[in-house]
Amino acid sequence: MDKPTLLLLILVLTTAGYYFGRKRSLDIVSGKVQELHSLPSYYGYYLAMWVGVPTLLLLLIWLGFEGAVLSRLVVADLPGELQGDSGERAALLINEIRNTMAGAGSGSGDPSIQAAANHYRHLQAVSDWLLSLGVIALAALGGWFGHRQIEVEQRARNKVEKGTMVFLIACSTIAIFTTVGIVLSVVFESVLFFQKVPVTDFLFGLRWSPQMAIRADQVGSSGAFGAVPLFTGTLLISFIAMVVAVPIGLMSAIYLAEYASPRVRTVAKPLLEILAGVPTVVYGFFAALTVAPYIRDLGQSLGLDVSSESALAAGLVMGVMIIPFVSSLSDDFINAVPQSLRDGAYALGATQSETIRQVIIPAALPGIVGGILLAVSRAIGETMIVVMAAGLSANLTANPLAAVTTVTTQIVTLLVGDQEFDSPKTLAAFALGLVLFLVTLMLNIAALMIVRKYREQYE
Amino acid sequence: MNSLLELKTAMRDERTEVKPAKRLGTNVSFDRDYGDTVGEVTASNARMVCRDVNVFYGPKQAIHGVNLDIGRNEVIALIGPSGCGKSTFIRCLNRMNDTIVGCRVTGSIQLDGQDIYDPQMDVVPLRAQIGMVFQKPNPFPKSIYENVAYGPRIHGLTQNKAELEEVVENSLRRAGLWDEVKDSLDQPGTSLSGGQQQRLCIARTIAVNPEVILMDEPCSALDPIATARIEQLIDELRMQFTIAIVTHSMQQAARVSQRTAYFHLGKLIEVGETAQVFTNPRHQLTEDYITGRFG
Repeated sequence: MDKPTLLLLILVLTTAGYYFGRKRSLDIVSGKVQELHSLPSYYGYYLAMWVGVPTLLLLLIWLGFEGAVLSRLVVADLPGELQGDSGERAALLINEIRNTMAGAGSGSGDPSIQAAANHYRHLQAVSDWLLSLGVIALAALGGWFGHRQIEVEQRARNKVEKGTMVFLIACSTIAIFTTVGIVLSVVFESVLFFQKVPVTDFLFGLRWSPQMAIRADQVGSSGAFGAVPLFTGTLLISFIAMVVAVPIGLMSAIYLAEYASPRVRTVAKPLLEILAGVPTVVYGFFAALTVAPYIRDLGQSLGLDVSSESALAAGLVMGVMIIPFVSSLSDDFINAVPQSLRDGAYALGATQSETIRQVIIPAALPGIVGGILLAVSRAIGETMIVVMAAGLSANLTANPLAAVTTVTTQIVTLLVGDQEFDSPKTLAAFALGLVLFLVTLMLNIAALMIVRKYREQYE
Repeated sequence: MNSLLELKTAMRDERTEVKPAKRLGTNVSFDRDYGDTVGEVTASNARMVCRDVNVFYGPKQAIHGVNLDIGRNEVIALIGPSGCGKSTFIRCLNRMNDTIVGCRVTGSIQLDGQDIYDPQMDVVPLRAQIGMVFQKPNPFPKSIYENVAYGPRIHGLTQNKAELEEVVENSLRRAGLWDEVKDSLDQPGTSLSGGQQQRLCIARTIAVNPEVILMDEPCSALDPIATARIEQLIDELRMQFTIAIVTHSMQQAARVSQRTAYFHLGKLIEVGETAQVFTNPRHQLTEDYITGRFG
């Protein structure tokens, strides 16, 4: 049996396990449900777990190791002249064998490869057969054992609940392990990079020019990996974005939370949040094709020298993009301020704007600051808009009218196209990614801590 | 049970012949019957005069034709079972109901002869004249000093810092809180205990020197000792202010008030001298409530 059929079989057997477990529990008390410890369906789930979990585990483990084991067996049987290669050659060989086996092979001319492919196919069949046998045996064993366990006093409910909990824990750890995996992969590549370029050069160098000669005999610059111009570019654009987003977002939040009638609010809030749903690439070409030329023309009419790709254009559009973050979070926190504080201020004769400025905003401030920090980390990590609108030249400047480049833009340009994964040029992307990750991580932690502290105050 | 039925019938009867709510101007004499209310609705020295007050939350009527005077320097207690409209009524007296969407008030409420629901009336100075203390202590998330100084600041009551400090100290003294907080005025108001917070809210209210103080169950979140402290405070404040207090505790009403008004299902059933209402109620419903037959 091939694997999809086997999976289907497991599902059918599990369902059958549920049915028989339920029936068995009813049989032993001859239908008097109240004499059972748990409801009959729990005995069903219990038996289904005994059938389903071991077989699925076996299937997963088999899938994980089958490829490696079969390859090793095939390679071991190859003629001597093809053996002995290690690393990449061996991987290529296995690929060739597999291609031949699938019939799409290019190198099927070699009879020894052809023989190996046949061997592989044979082993594959044996493996499938073994797996089917194992699954059926395990299902039968689990079913028999679970069936025997079902008694009047058997605590099926408690065991099923525990099984459910283990399953939920497994699901939640997947996300955590993925994060850990990402961090580790970035860290390992960064370590490789820092072996070639000193950390201090990277963090404090003022010149960014990652073009390197790929071969030793090529003519080319040796490359410079000072990331300061990228950091300042990122900060400049993020700063412009926050200058746009914080006042507009905060004020629209105040309007929505305090002044708008419920009808306006139900319409306006989702509309504002649509801004967050626009794909960033759409913002990107809006910035590059509409805003940047407009700013350049405006600058020219004022006699200023504006480059066609400017930090200002990218920052403005990014600011518009994160307005909904600021406004939505601020709105939530303003709404979370207890009505009793508003009542207290009104009862003293405070006007609405006095109440908002002097009571509500100070009370909601920690939450608002947390929301703004989340928006900042979003702005720093934003890629598409700056790739399209901010330019690629690593200028160390604070002039918003000049073209600058950001950390994310450089990561994209370093990794697009054909790359060699042992040149500092490519590895630099991982070092940049690591810095970016650390900065946004710290911002997020700070934001969450502030928000949590605020929550404790009022609940 | 019978009386309850009677009341319901009476209410139904009255609803059929309900008069259109009139907005009465200032200085109109009120020589008319006061509906079904038993007892002395009027006060000889009235500071607030409410006539035929109806309150609606959307289509639902919460208060039915209440007539009531609140006299100068008296403490009037509003009692009644939950949902009888006493909190709704007290919130009408400084137009706090304005903040509730869908709330509509008809009839006339006057403060010193001035209709507070007049379209010309500005609620900001009105609420400075009629202060309010709420059920749950609600100090602002500011320092103790700033909590008390807030009212005088927004109304520009003081000329300079020294004057403001004097007002703050005076208010805290009158609220009986000064000795406990004089060394920690820069601490957040929320760091105080529940009873202290409530006294801080009272200090905040009297700092703007209102004429009337409304209290909506000011002790319901406090322990007996803090409650006793606040009750004593109410008695002292009576010399200077007019106080209306909503309470669920009949003992409290008996201890602090001179007059008591009993509300039931949105109607004012009986009002009179506190001693008389508690010892010799004239309406069956009042008697049933204060003897604990329901409520």
